[in-house]
Amino acid sequence: MKVSLFITCLSDTLYPRVGEAMVKLLARYGIQLHFPTVQTCCGQPAFNSGYWKEARETAKTILDAFEDSDFVISPSGSCTGMIHHYPKLFEADSHMHARAVKLQSKSYEFTQFLVQVLGVKDLGAVFPHKVTYHPSCHGSRLLGVKEEPLELMRNVVGLELVPLPFAEDCCGFGGTFAVKMADISGAMVTEKVDHVLETEAEVLVGLDLACLMNIAGNLRYRNQPVKVMHLAELLYEGVNQA
Amino acid sequence: MSTAGAASTVKERADLALNDEFLRKAVKFTTERLRNGKKQASDEHGNWDDWRERGRQIRLHTIAHLDYYLNLFADQARANGVHVHFAETSAEAVKLSLEIAQRKQAKSVVKSKSMVTEELHLNHELESIGVEAIETDLGEYIIQLAGETPSHIIIPAIHKNRYQVADLLSKEAGETLAPDTSILAGFVRKKLREKFLEADIGMTGCNFAIAETGSMVLFENEGNARMVTTVPKTQITLMGMERIIPSWSDLEVMATLLPRSATGQKLTVYMSGITGPRRDVDADGPDEMHIIIVDNGRSLQLGDPEFQELLNCIRCGACLNACPVYRHIGGHAYGGTYSGPIGAVLTPALNKNVGEWDDIANASSLCGACYEACPVKIPLHEMLIYLRRRKLEQGHGNAAESLGMKGFAAVMGSARRYSTLVKLGKLGQKLVVRDGGIRLKLGPLKGWNTYRVTPSLPKKSFRDQWGTLEQELRHGLQELDPAVKSRMEAIMRDRDSGGGNGHG
Amino acid sequence: MANQAESHDEWLKQLAEDSKRKQESFMNGIAQKLKRPRVMEAPKHPFRGAPDFWQSFEWPLEERMDRFEENFKSAGGHVARLSDMDAAKQFIAEKAVSLSARYVIRQNQPELNELGLEEALQGTGASVRVWNSDADENWKARAAEADFGVVVADYAAAYTGSVTVLSSKDKGRSVSLLPTVMFVLIPLERLKTRLGEILIHFDEAGREQLPAGIHFISGPSRSADIENDLTIGVHGPGVVYALLIG
Repeated sequence: MKVSLFITCLSDTLYPRVGEAMVKLLARYGIQLHFPTVQTCCGQPAFNSGYWKEARETAKTILDAFEDSDFVISPSGSCTGMIHHYPKLFEADSHMHARAVKLQSKSYEFTQFLVQVLGVKDLGAVFPHKVTYHPSCHGSRLLGVKEEPLELMRNVVGLELVPLPFAEDCCGFGGTFAVKMADISGAMVTEKVDHVLETEAEVLVGLDLACLMNIAGNLRYRNQPVKVMHLAELLYEGVNQA
Repeated sequence: MSTAGAASTVKERADLALNDEFLRKAVKFTTERLRNGKKQASDEHGNWDDWRERGRQIRLHTIAHLDYYLNLFADQARANGVHVHFAETSAEAVKLSLEIAQRKQAKSVVKSKSMVTEELHLNHELESIGVEAIETDLGEYIIQLAGETPSHIIIPAIHKNRYQVADLLSKEAGETLAPDTSILAGFVRKKLREKFLEADIGMTGCNFAIAETGSMVLFENEGNARMVTTVPKTQITLMGMERIIPSWSDLEVMATLLPRSATGQKLTVYMSGITGPRRDVDADGPDEMHIIIVDNGRSLQLGDPEFQELLNCIRCGACLNACPVYRHIGGHAYGGTYSGPIGAVLTPALNKNVGEWDDIANASSLCGACYEACPVKIPLHEMLIYLRRRKLEQGHGNAAESLGMKGFAAVMGSARRYSTLVKLGKLGQKLVVRDGGIRLKLGPLKGWNTYRVTPSLPKKSFRDQWGTLEQELRHGLQELDPAVKSRMEAIMRDRDSGGGNGHG
Repeated sequence: MANQAESHDEWLKQLAEDSKRKQESFMNGIAQKLKRPRVMEAPKHPFRGAPDFWQSFEWPLEERMDRFEENFKSAGGHVARLSDMDAAKQFIAEKAVSLSARYVIRQNQPELNELGLEEALQGTGASVRVWNSDADENWKARAAEADFGVVVADYAAAYTGSVTVLSSKDKGRSVSLLPTVMFVLIPLERLKTRLGEILIHFDEAGREQLPAGIHFISGPSRSADIENDLTIGVHGPGVVYALLIG
């Protein structure tokens, strides 16, 4: 059985520690992740901007990378969600379409895999901090990952989960939106961070690095000391503390 | 005009709105209340997704057989004594409306809320032939006095607070009215009572048209739509050609979805089904009733698999209330009759001029809140992507962006080139990284870094570390639990037999 | 523009002919865009009406009354439970005195003809007019000046707290709309659970049997157009009494 890591370009280049945490956490349950190095990016920036030809060129690296994988795990609900768009992206080419449908059926976001497939809800982690959680839009709305992260966090000893006001509101990232509509995006991330600060949490946790980068960037711009972590990082730190 | 009047792009208009603290507060306040109301009402009702799916199926079915149902509606309405008309364009609809007004030698028209008449700019057209057009919905009346257009499908004056409303109404009253909602509404009641009683024509929109009996249905809270359809001698209804549902039984589903999604009500105060003009023996209701069925770009969506579902929209406004972009910029920034997520898609779709609506489809982070809020499950967040793609296909791309995307594909299309670029990035960033972050406000980072600090690239990427990591893991690997293993195998078998595709 | 010399009827006839021609091309255009021949027979509609689990949902009478009351009140209406029509008459008469009503307009329905409201109001200063009882009267104006409008519900739905009134020669649409205060009498046997139990009657009756106006009313007229602040009595009656009788 081949379980593969779809690292996503953001984790690969900017947040390698998230990939490392995932790999090490899954190893504790006997999952030896396989990492095909031909993968690059899921193609979402091009797809969402309407450049589907370019998106297909990029998506092909993902289809090639995971052709013979049985499960494909990524630290992003959004990039896994992008794979769900592949059948539409390749609808004109029946061979590629079939490959896309197959990849979609075996792709999982990290917590989804942990809870739904491995049946792991309690990692025995300890994390004595006040934490708030931002459910990223693509993962929670479009992929339906809602309960999994909450369940995992409820089982972390010492973790005090403070509800984030208007948690389900978008952080304003939206890929090229943050550049093209910089001021609207800026207003959105500012509002999101206002809500984070209201919780007085020490740590903001999430499942999507793009959103976390966006929120962390604004926190830092405002010199706010709230730590931003991917849930995999938090859990990995937690099991090492236990 | 409003704050958005002179600016020519969505971005410019949005920037104006973003600097209007007044407007942002007003819009945020009301959308939040509506959004919470909807959530409470749908939770309390229960099985909300089943009802959404039902609503969607009824709309899909009707639109897929629109020639049958619309034809039936027209025949039945005519049998009820209604004068039915068809208008392919807004110009035809305007011409018909004006002709009726002239034939009736009308001096004034009282109107209840209708987005179709907003599409046609009908008030302006009526004024141009000397007919006074009076909006009678409280919110519409306010913005008519202000000389503006609605900035929300169901709360047209959402961008105004009561002090602004008091100023407008005081001018109309010729005396100072206190900024107290009940005093302001009381003035409007009294003022418009006279207008209802003296008007020659009542003009309405149409929420739903029931094909089997030729009836039209209006949802409202104030009673002004009932006034408009009860008191004047002539009624003109303008309806979008897609407003059809087959039966009264189907209306139960729409009546369940529409008010809850719009305002969180179980039902609007009034739901009226009107079947023809007054009967000969009746002592009220219009003597003469016209229904103008308007296309104005709607039929362009038919047979287009990416956009046909737009015709399912029941105009509840839930997507506006859920949208984080709308909340910050309000409705006028969208620059069309319809605003918010539905407007961003509908406006270019009705006009088939994606290119001219340059950046409207870009005014979304694609967060999907609109889809989640939609009572008939229209995938607006996907349609926005289709619009962006079509804009490029029609040659309206931005040259710099196109070049950038070509570069993106060239780099991301190969892991080797991708790794090389990351290495170059690490070298290049040395010039701009301070304290592990990038604060430079230049080039593509200008907008982003106005609100954020950009993280710098770490020394080693994940793929740089992978070799070491893999070695390390080989030592500490645990045994896979046999129960988990067999579950994974079952998932794979299930997948092969055609199932398992719908996980997550 | 239009030739004013033609008679109005001739002009309407001309419009009707144009419309029928246009209708054909409109429908053909739709079929063409949908890339199939015109659909001329009623298509099978497998999703008609509410979901199946909803169709059999029904509350017992007591709960219907409770829920109706709860919903109608939460929309800003008033509800009174009365044992019989005599009690309804007393109720309205007392309100006429306490609110100093001068004009009362009522539908010309058998239940109201037998009610004896006219006698009950004698000496209170309020007079009762009966809708459309005189062909020469301007009944809309009479309804507009009335303090009270009195109607009998044709149906009511507990789940949404709604009453349904149908128009006819003897039942004016204005009576439930133009007066300041509206009283609607609801005989208990007309109180259903769901909207669907009422709507189905209109499907079953068919086009020719439908009245011109079918109105569902779920409380007093209201608006939230100014700062989402609820205002009662914008255009329709601001005070509404639902009287559950039986």
